[in-house]
Amino acid sequence: MKKIVYGLLATLTGVVLLFSYRTSLQSVAPTASTGSTSGTGTASSSGSSSAGSSSTGSSSGSSSGTSGSSGSGSSGSGSSASSSPSASASSGTSGSSLKDGTYTGQAADTRYGPVQVKITVSSGTITNVAVPEYPTESFRDQEINQQAIPQLVSETLNAQSAQLDMVSGATYTSDGYLQSLQSAIDEANA
Amino acid sequence: MSGVGMSTHDATRRQVARSVRTATLMGTVASIHLIGSVDEDLVDAAADDCFGELADVERVFSPFLQESDISRMRRGELALEDADTRVSAVHRACETALDATDGLFDAWHAGWFDPTGYVKGWATEIAAHRSLAPLLGVPGVEAVGIGVGGDMQLFTSPGSDWVWRVGIADPAHPGGVVATLAVRDGAVATSGTAERGSHIVDPRAVDSVAPSKARSTPTAGATVVADRLEAADLWATTAVIAGFDDLGWIAQPGPLSQLRSGMLVASDGRVRRWARGVELTPSNRSWLSELPGA
Repeated sequence: MKKIVYGLLATLTGVVLLFSYRTSLQSVAPTASTGSTSGTGTASSSGSSSAGSSSTGSSSGSSSGTSGSSGSGSSGSGSSASSSPSASASSGTSGSSLKDGTYTGQAADTRYGPVQVKITVSSGTITNVAVPEYPTESFRDQEINQQAIPQLVSETLNAQSAQLDMVSGATYTSDGYLQSLQSAIDEANA
Repeated sequence: MSGVGMSTHDATRRQVARSVRTATLMGTVASIHLIGSVDEDLVDAAADDCFGELADVERVFSPFLQESDISRMRRGELALEDADTRVSAVHRACETALDATDGLFDAWHAGWFDPTGYVKGWATEIAAHRSLAPLLGVPGVEAVGIGVGGDMQLFTSPGSDWVWRVGIADPAHPGGVVATLAVRDGAVATSGTAERGSHIVDPRAVDSVAPSKARSTPTAGATVVADRLEAADLWATTAVIAGFDDLGWIAQPGPLSQLRSGMLVASDGRVRRWARGVELTPSNRSWLSELPGA
């Protein structure tokens, strides 16, 4: 079940990435949220930067990309499969319907900045696809996500080693350390 | 993107004191960074403990030291049962890793037990938890972390707004960074084909049944972010062995698979990124027609 959602979110993320390169499809592209009222300086600790897409009404924290928080406001009349949250694994039917709720995908880079897809599932079908925009000015909002993914940097940023705390890379020898970026950072703070 | 975003945060960061200690061990250099204001003697003591434990692990496990337990076992002079108790623990862990990675991570591929590719991450995680993490309880300490030759375990005090900014080295351009990453608590490990010390060999390359699979695009660098460095390091190494075209391992269940996210950089510069078992990629246009309202 979870895998289906993950797969779906991954695909949707892919779709968004695809759209981001096609300006003709602005209705779904991340730029569509330019009209949103999301304050630029929202460094709120909650990390829910989904202020722009208030249409869905689900205020799920966008930071928790994994466990899609189920906050579906739509009164799910059919409480057929509601009771057992975990038992569904045994059946293993691949075509099981989606559980109602709001699911948030992992952030992905586009040329508009990092975006994140949110889908709303009601009665087993997707009823809404939203692309809440990250406030790109707020590095903090990206950082607060414990599951942050590597953000690709442009070539111009390569030299800005002073902004890094640590460098992850293939193991260098103790001689190679002297030429390494980590060495420069250590030196600068020694 | 981060160039703009970091500006406001940097203003506060620069005012934070930082203590750095380095030591040469395990054939590379280890760096401990402590963020915050604290008695330097306390930093020295913790760093000495941490470095000391790593140096002792090296003494027992290094295949480059003639008198290490691993070298003596290789020469048949020492039985596993008689070796340091940590050797049998690592032996068991490598058996688990062999199984968890479907044979890709093979500490016996050379014909003898060489856990070099496992020990650094495992030992650093343990030493960091034992010697560094307790510092978070000291007033004034916001964060502390250790990096050993490009693999790191980082901690941040719950009450601090500190965030570690990690650069991922560009395998094609020494000194350059191909990506950045924000981590409060957790581990980051990167392996590369040119990595020193760990013998990265795809066992499938000698498997005549699947020669084509072993011929996938070489991975110049594989980065894995996880809660624990043992798992991050293990899977970063495994990712290099698996090759750029194989990302199926990111969704594998298991105790050693609590992975957060990561990235592959191919020898030709292409990049694949993933998070929580899902690859982030532009693909599969067929979904367009099935989306409501599309």
